[in-house]
Amino acid sequence: MTRSFLSIRAVRKTFGAFVAVHDVTIDVPKGEFLTFLGPSGSGKSTTLYAIAGFQDPSSGDVLLEDRSLLSVPSHKRNIGMVFQRYTLFPHLSVAENVAFPLRVRRRPDAEVKRKVADMLALVRLENFADRHPGALSGGQQQRVALARALAYDPPILLMDEPLSALDKKLRQEIQAEIRRIHRETGVTILYVTHDQEEALHLSDRIALFREGRIEQIGTGEDLYLRPASEFVAGFIGNSNFLAAEHLETAGGAATIRLADGSIVKGVKTTQAFDRGQKARLMVRPEAFRLTPGPASAELAVEFIDAAFFGDRRRVVMRTAGGEELDVRPTSDAAEPHGPDSGRRIFFDPAVAFLFPA
Amino acid sequence: MLLDYDRLGWLRVALVGFTAAVAAFLLLPVVFIVLLSFGSSRWLAFPPPGWTLKWYQQLLDDPTWIDAALTSARIAAMAAILAVVIGLFASFSLVRGEFRGRQVLRGLLLTPMVLPVVVFAIAIYAFFLRIGLAGTTVGFVIAHTILALPFAIIPITAALEGFDKSIEDAAIVCGASPLQARLRITLPSIRIGIFSAAIFSFLASWDEVVVAIFMASPTLQTLPVKIWGSLRADLSPVVAAASSLLVGLTLCLMIVTALLRRKLSR
Amino acid sequence: MQGSFFRRSSAAGLPAGSGSALPALLLVGLFFIVPVVALLLRSVTDPEPGLQNYAALFGSGTYVRVFLNTFLVASVVTAVTILVAFPVAWMLAIMPPAMGSVVFGIIILSMWTNLLTRTYAWMVLLQRTGVINRALMGLGVIHEPLPLINNLAGVTIGMVYIMLPFMILPLVGTLRAIDPMTLRAAALCGASPFEAFRRILLPLSLPGIAAGGLMIFVMSLGYFVTPALLGGTSNMMLAEMITQTVQSLLNWGLGSAAAFVLLVVTMALYAIQLRLVGAKHAGGGI
Repeated sequence: MTRSFLSIRAVRKTFGAFVAVHDVTIDVPKGEFLTFLGPSGSGKSTTLYAIAGFQDPSSGDVLLEDRSLLSVPSHKRNIGMVFQRYTLFPHLSVAENVAFPLRVRRRPDAEVKRKVADMLALVRLENFADRHPGALSGGQQQRVALARALAYDPPILLMDEPLSALDKKLRQEIQAEIRRIHRETGVTILYVTHDQEEALHLSDRIALFREGRIEQIGTGEDLYLRPASEFVAGFIGNSNFLAAEHLETAGGAATIRLADGSIVKGVKTTQAFDRGQKARLMVRPEAFRLTPGPASAELAVEFIDAAFFGDRRRVVMRTAGGEELDVRPTSDAAEPHGPDSGRRIFFDPAVAFLFPA
Repeated sequence: MLLDYDRLGWLRVALVGFTAAVAAFLLLPVVFIVLLSFGSSRWLAFPPPGWTLKWYQQLLDDPTWIDAALTSARIAAMAAILAVVIGLFASFSLVRGEFRGRQVLRGLLLTPMVLPVVVFAIAIYAFFLRIGLAGTTVGFVIAHTILALPFAIIPITAALEGFDKSIEDAAIVCGASPLQARLRITLPSIRIGIFSAAIFSFLASWDEVVVAIFMASPTLQTLPVKIWGSLRADLSPVVAAASSLLVGLTLCLMIVTALLRRKLSR
Repeated sequence: MQGSFFRRSSAAGLPAGSGSALPALLLVGLFFIVPVVALLLRSVTDPEPGLQNYAALFGSGTYVRVFLNTFLVASVVTAVTILVAFPVAWMLAIMPPAMGSVVFGIIILSMWTNLLTRTYAWMVLLQRTGVINRALMGLGVIHEPLPLINNLAGVTIGMVYIMLPFMILPLVGTLRAIDPMTLRAAALCGASPFEAFRRILLPLSLPGIAAGGLMIFVMSLGYFVTPALLGGTSNMMLAEMITQTVQSLLNWGLGSAAAFVLLVVTMALYAIQLRLVGAKHAGGGI
């Protein structure tokens, strides 16, 4: 087995009868950007707090380079962290905030000064050194928090929904900063968010949490293109679900019957189904075509509405069975105009997934 | 972590222990005085050689104690009513007024709470000697109303600041006159503040010693003056009995306050 | 425009909304300002115009010693109160509410109990043959009764007892306003509990400590009852001296001069306290 850098071993956390985290195990290689993604209350923050030492897991272990962290108090873990709320020290200036971890480590003055300058340059706040946190914008405060967390070169940086208090434009700006800083410093980052776009944009790998368990862990592409469950498919990206009946499976490709009676062959699945079992077929909005392609399945639909978003178009359609479809066709063909009940749309079964109903 | 109760470790044991010790320190004299009042020792030996009710008997048999208590209650009730009414009017002006010097006015009205009582006591005593109010109930009530006024103004202004004025405006838009709106909408909404004001200003007068020592005459003395006199003369256990009754009164007041607040805030 | 209770005040030519403050203003003006100013005038007119009362006050070793002693007692009481109150406020700010409400209840009970009652209890507890001395001797800690009353120790114990709620309650507010996450961040930055306390928790609670401490210092300076009953003749405080000068010696001029000194010092410190906490929260004891 490969020696992993940070290893979360069967971590479990219970609050009375409530199990917040069910035996979560993850291995994180050095330098990785790993995101814990999931809805609120899914156990992602609790897992992060166990690593930070704010909460002791009920069982399991957290190992950093094969040494358990659990008996190490937070202040000796040498972990960096950026919080959801700005946790800057309000009585200290920006420079003093960044210097704080170095001061408590009793580093020599010259080194502190140099390091603070480096860090402020890294987050591009050189000109704000003497300001107090109250005089900074939310985005600037979060950049100071980042500089403070990185000032002592921690091997791991934890980020707990650091962008959730910022508006959309700032969020994108700081996301770019975080990517750049990850690239420049090579620090291992564990990032918690409930925003799937943020997760896809930032991470090397994503661990998707659901009700205290990891539903799937893999690259963004893995989760998007090869979702392990309907929950993953629904949480990452946009998806349409169609009622279906399973007929047979051979070599990971299933044959199904849709509600309108049409047979679709070659649908991807990772699960075993019985013949005649009820199932749900997931098709991404952008997988639909308005014109038939090679090896495509087709659906009879009714046009409902269309909206234009600049770089793409979103069309709402309804199947004969009354299921509403979110369709984002790549601009390859005739635009639908006006209500039209005789229309058909097409998709490649190889990018559609079958899940149990 | 220093502000996470369950992550303090050994420090929590030490701090909780210290807090418990301070709580015991705060409770000690109150409990002690009640126990002492039932002790049979004239010389206040503790633990007492036996238990008795004779100090209560002596207390209740002595008309000067009863008189003093009634005088105190009468003066405190009048001072509290005056302080709450005057304070209520003043609070509207302090919270809603739009005039320069509002903060100065506020500071001025709160000054009696900050100025050492002894300075006010000799000042008002000298003044009343001159205008013939020294040793009178009216003089007592005036002096105590002044001392109680800040204790009425603080909770009422706080309540009034927390009250959304647009509700009152909505009542006026609905056809209520400004006065009706105040009486039927605003006053009920700030009743917790008014109630606190009444309790605090009553206590401010009821417990007041320093002004009372100057103002008291042989025919008019409040309970604190009576206790003060006994303490200076000797440490009679009768004082312990009187004190225990005061502790009981405090407890009743606390319970009534808690219940009423719960009821009013519903 | 709607400051006064009845609206209308501007019609009477008064500043907008000031009308309903008139009764309070009249009361305080006539029965507070006038008497206090009259008293101060008396300090330079009684028995004859001049500054001889102040000369007597500052020229005599006895009175200077009373001043110094007043400052000493107020300082000791303030320092001890802060040291005792801080850990209690800290715990009250973060302890589970069920536990905390018991302690709050005890604090309120102690605060609302009659001042003389509490002082009387300490007189009995601290006397030579009192419970405290007997307990300490019984435990073998001491062999001779400690002099705990009619001296600095007695005054300090009695005054700290009275002042504690006035320090604890506002400090709980200060500490509750600090985000616990800030302390978590400090810990992850590598600060040991001691360093986090020294560099973060203490500086962040300093405004509350300073405001509360100043309030207690000011209250202690002018305190009369407790020092008079628990203190000794050798460490008399200013308020008791003023009372005696006026009541027993009938020396109104000298008493007024001493009262004026007390007033000036108190008001100056009060002004500083207003700066620290803002006028709104002044006198946050209730």
